[in-house]
Amino acid sequence: MVSKMRDFKFVDSSKEMDKEQIRESLTYWKDVWRRLKGNVVAVIGLIGVILVILFGVVGPMLSPYYFSDQITDFAYLTPTLDVFQITNVDDGDSENYFVHLNNDYRLLLISEDGHVLERLIYTGRDRANFIYFYDYEGEEIAVDYSKRTDDEYTGDIDYTITFRGEETLYPTKTVWNKTFLLGSDHLGRDILCRLMYGARISLTVAFVAATVNLLIGVAYGSISGFKGGTIDNLMMRIVDIINSIPLVIYVILLMVLLDKSNMWTIIIALGSVYWVGMARLVRGQILSLKDLEFVLAARTLGVSQGKIITKHLIPNAIGPILVSLTMMIPTAIFTEAFLSFIGIGMSAPAASWGTMANEAISLLEKYPYQLMLPSLAIGITVLSFNFLGDGLRSALDPRLRKG
Amino acid sequence: MIKKEPLLEVRNLKKHFYLGGRGSKKKVLTAVDGLNFVIYKGETFGLVGESGCGKTTTGRTIIRLYKPTDGEILFEGVDLSALNEKQLFPFRKKIQMIFQDPYASLNTRMTVTDIIGEGIETHHLFSGKEKQERIYHLLETVGLKREHASRYPHEFSGGQRQRIGIARALAVNPELIICDEPISALDVSIQAQVVNMLEDLQNEFGLTYLFIAHDLSMVRQISDRIGVMYLGKLMEVTTSDELYDNPYHPYTKSLLSSIPIPDPRSTMRESRIILQGDVGNPINPKPGCRFAPRCIYAKDRCRSEDPELVEIKPGHFTACHFVKEINDI
Amino acid sequence: MAKILEVKHLVTSFFTHLGEVQAVRDISFSLEKGDILGIVGESGSGKSVTSLSVIGLVDDPGEIVSGAVLFEGEDLTKLSDRELNKYRGDEISMIFQDPMTSINPVYTIGNQIIEVIRAHSDMNHLEAKARAIELLDLVGIPEPVTRLKSYPHEFSGGMRQRVLIAMALSNNPKLLIADEPTTALDVTIQAQILDLMRNLQAKMGASIIFITHDLGVIAEICNKVIVMYGGKIMEKADIMSLYEKPQHPYTQGLMQSVPKPETGQKKRLVPIVGSPPDLLKPPSGCPFSPRCKYAMEVCLKESAPLYKISSTQFASCWLHDKEAPVVEGFVKCEPVLDEEAEVIL
Repeated sequence: MVSKMRDFKFVDSSKEMDKEQIRESLTYWKDVWRRLKGNVVAVIGLIGVILVILFGVVGPMLSPYYFSDQITDFAYLTPTLDVFQITNVDDGDSENYFVHLNNDYRLLLISEDGHVLERLIYTGRDRANFIYFYDYEGEEIAVDYSKRTDDEYTGDIDYTITFRGEETLYPTKTVWNKTFLLGSDHLGRDILCRLMYGARISLTVAFVAATVNLLIGVAYGSISGFKGGTIDNLMMRIVDIINSIPLVIYVILLMVLLDKSNMWTIIIALGSVYWVGMARLVRGQILSLKDLEFVLAARTLGVSQGKIITKHLIPNAIGPILVSLTMMIPTAIFTEAFLSFIGIGMSAPAASWGTMANEAISLLEKYPYQLMLPSLAIGITVLSFNFLGDGLRSALDPRLRKG
Repeated sequence: MIKKEPLLEVRNLKKHFYLGGRGSKKKVLTAVDGLNFVIYKGETFGLVGESGCGKTTTGRTIIRLYKPTDGEILFEGVDLSALNEKQLFPFRKKIQMIFQDPYASLNTRMTVTDIIGEGIETHHLFSGKEKQERIYHLLETVGLKREHASRYPHEFSGGQRQRIGIARALAVNPELIICDEPISALDVSIQAQVVNMLEDLQNEFGLTYLFIAHDLSMVRQISDRIGVMYLGKLMEVTTSDELYDNPYHPYTKSLLSSIPIPDPRSTMRESRIILQGDVGNPINPKPGCRFAPRCIYAKDRCRSEDPELVEIKPGHFTACHFVKEINDI
Repeated sequence: MAKILEVKHLVTSFFTHLGEVQAVRDISFSLEKGDILGIVGESGSGKSVTSLSVIGLVDDPGEIVSGAVLFEGEDLTKLSDRELNKYRGDEISMIFQDPMTSINPVYTIGNQIIEVIRAHSDMNHLEAKARAIELLDLVGIPEPVTRLKSYPHEFSGGMRQRVLIAMALSNNPKLLIADEPTTALDVTIQAQILDLMRNLQAKMGASIIFITHDLGVIAEICNKVIVMYGGKIMEKADIMSLYEKPQHPYTQGLMQSVPKPETGQKKRLVPIVGSPPDLLKPPSGCPFSPRCKYAMEVCLKESAPLYKISSTQFASCWLHDKEAPVVEGFVKCEPVLDEEAEVIL
C-alpha cells in the first residue's frame, strides 16, 4: 500500500473550534409553516379561508347592489336563463332581444348578453289551449305550455314562444344571468350580493367569537391554572355551570330580554358563553407548563405572576390556542347560521346565510338553487376552516419537531 | 479562602406534601424531614443522595419555590421561611438557582438576551445600553460569544444552554447559588468544562454554592463539605476529604462503595457493600432511623428512635445510634 | 474461539428534512462467545444507533446504508423484519435505558414475560409460567409467585430493570444488548444490577454488548471496550490495556476529565474543549480533530486507519504512524492491513 503524501504537521486546533457551527435551524414559526405548506389539505383549507374572507370583505364593494335592494319584477330568476330570441337585427330590428319564462310564468325581456331588461306584462290567457299572452312594445307574445301539461306527451318541447306569427319551439340559447350572477330570490334581491353580505355577517360573528374566546378564555384559563387550588376549583365549577346551559335556550332568552334580533344579539349571546372551551384548554396547558424549569427559574428571579403568565406560559401554549381558535370559528359560523335558519337569529331583511336558507326552504322544489347556494357557502367556509385547523394542529405538534 | 462566616443556616427544615386521605389514612410525603446544616460564605456545600432523598426539594424550599412546612431558613440572619413574596423580593437577587435539564430550563420562545436580561429588568439593575453591555459581558464570562445574544435556545447544545442558565443566575449578582444537578444531563466531556467554570466563577465572584447532585465523585471534586441525605434526613455531614477517607455512617459507606471504579484492576471491588432492597419510600415513613430497613447493623433501638445528627469529631456529624461501635471509636 | 457477532463496515444514516444525519460512519467490530463488550461514547457518538442497527430496530427516517451484521454467520441486514423477529427475544435480546417506559403498563409483568417465552418456544401457558417464576427468582425478585400478578407501576426502578433483564434472558439468548441499562438508576441500585448481570452472564454464558457513557461502569463489567466518537471508532481494546495505557487522545481526554476519588488528591479536572460534533455536517477527516490538542494537518483531511498497538489494542489515530512526530503516551506501530485476520475485537 503506497502512502499518499500526508502532512503530519500540528495544527492550532483552537482555530478549528472557532468554526464550530451553531446549527442555523428554523425558528418555531418557520418550521410550522414548512410543515403546513406540505399538507395539501391544509393548504386547500387556507386558500378557502382566504377566498371567503376576500369574498366577504371585498365582494360587497364590487357589487352594484345592496343586500336589501329589491326589484320585485325580477324575482325568482335562476343563474342561467333559457332564452328565446324574439327580435333579430338581421330582420331589421334595432337589437336582438330574447325572452325568458320563469317557473311562475313571468316573462322577462333579456338582452343578447344576458341582462334582464324588463318584465313583460301579462295580458291574458287561453285556458283551453294552455296559452298565456304577454305584451311587448304593443305586440303580442304567446307562450304555449300545453306540452308541459300533457301527460302523454313524450317529446322534449317544454313550452313554445310565438311572436309575430313565428313559433319557436326550443330555447335559442342559454345565457348567464348577467343582472343577477347567481340568480335572484323571491323578492328580487341579488343572491350573490346577499351571499357576500352574508359572508360579512358570518365572518364578523366568527371573529368576534374568536376575539372574545381569546381575551376572556385565555385570561380566565391562565389565571385559573396558574393559581391552582381553591381558586382554580371555583373558577372551573363556574365554567361547568355555564357549559351546561344549552345554547339555543340561552339565545332565545337573550332575544326576549334584549327585545331585538340582529347581529349584536347573536354576538353577545355567543360571546358570553363561547370562551369556556378555550378557558379549559388554556388551563390545561398552563397546568402542564407551570412546573417546568424555565418557569421555576422566572420565579426564582422574582418575576411577577402577571409577567410569568404573559411572557412564559401563554407564549408556550400558543400552539393549542391557535388550533382551538381555528376550530372554534367554524363552529361559531355554523351556530349563527343554524340559529338564523331556525328563525331565532338574524331576521329579514338581513342577509345571513342561515336566513337565506330559511327563506328558500319553501321554494326547494321550484327553485332549488336558492337553498343550495347559501348551504354551499356555509359548507365551504366551515370545511375550509376545519381543514386549516386540522393542518395547523399537525404542524404544531411538538413531537414532530426534530431538534 | 473560606471565611467561617455562615451565609445560610437551615434549622429543622421540613417540607411535607399532602397526598390525600384523611385521619388515619392520611398520606404525607415527607420529602424533607428536619434538616440542620450551615453553609459558610465562599464554600461549596455538596448535598448528595439517591432518588427520593429530598435533595432537590431541599434546594427548592431554601429558595422559597416551596413554602416550608416547618423550620427556619436563615440567610444572613434573616429567616426566609416566614416572609411573603413581596418581602422575599430583595432576596431573590441574593440567592439564585441553576437547573438540571438544559432543555427545559430555558424558555424556547425567548432570545438569549431576554433570558439573561429578565433578572436585570425585574430588579431594575441596568437599562438600555448598559443592560446590553452587561449581557454581553456575562456571555463572555461563561465562555459564549456576543453574537449568541440574539439567538434562541434551540440553536445551542446542551452544554451551551447550561452556560446560558449560569449567565442568567449570575446576572443579578447573587451571593448564594443553588446548583440543582447542573451537570447530570451533560456529556462527560462537557461536565468537566462546566465544573471548572463553576469553580472559576466562585473564585472570581466570591460565590457560595449549594451543589446538589447524585454523582458522588463529581460532588467530591467540587465541594468543600458534603451532606449525605436519605429519605428526607441528613445521615452524615463533614468535609469532602473526610467523607471519602473516613465515612462513619453505614449508608455513606455503602454509597461510596457502590460507585463504579474506573479502574479494572482495582481490588476495592471486593470489599463492596451491596445493599439489599430498594431505596425506601418517603410516604408515611415508619418511626426510627430511615435507613434501618436496609442497614446491616440495625438493632431494635434503630427501629424505634430517630437518631440525631451529632458531632462525633470536630466538623464531622453523623446521625447513627451505633456510630462509635461500628467504627471503633 | 468462534465469533458470535461480526459487524463489518456498518453505515447508518437518518435522512431528515434537514439533510442526512450520519449517525454511524463505517464501524467494524466483533464479539466472541462469552465476551462482555462495552461501547463507550457520548451523545452523538453513534453507540445507540449501532446497537439498534445490530438488532434491526432502526426506524424511518433512518436506515442501514451499507455494511453487514453477521450473527453466527448470518447477515442480519439482509433479513426481513419478520425473519428478524425470530431472532429478537430469542437468540438476541435487548434491554433499554428507561425501565419506566420499556414495559407496557397495562399488562401484568407475568403476562409480559410469559408472552416473550411463548413467542419463541413451544411451551404451553403453565410451562411458561413456571419458567417465568424461575426467571424472576434468578434476577432476585422476592416472592416471585405473587409478583407475577403485579403491574409495572408497582415496582421500583431497580426492580423493573430486573424484570426487563428477566424478560431478556427468558429464552437463553446468545447475545444480549444492553443500552445504558443502569444510567437511570441510583448508584446503590446500579451496583446491584451490575452484580446481577455479572453473575447471570457467568451462569448462562451469554455474550453481552454493554452501551454506556460511564467509564466506571465499563471497568466494572466489561472485558473488551470500543470507544466511539462522532459515528466512528476511536479505539478498541481489552479492558486492561485501555485503562492502563489508552492510545487515543479522546480516550485519554475522557479519562482526565473524570474525577478519580480513590487517587486521594483532588486535582483540577482537565476537560476536553469544544462540544460533540454536528452529525449533519460532520467534519471531514477524524471527527475528533477539532477538539484534539495533537491534531495535525492530515487529521483534518483524512480519517486514520486502525493502528495495531498490540494484538488486543487498536486505535484510529495518525499519531501512531511512523511519519508522525513523537508524542509521549502514543506508541508507534503499523496500521492494520487485513482486518479480518488481525483484529479480534
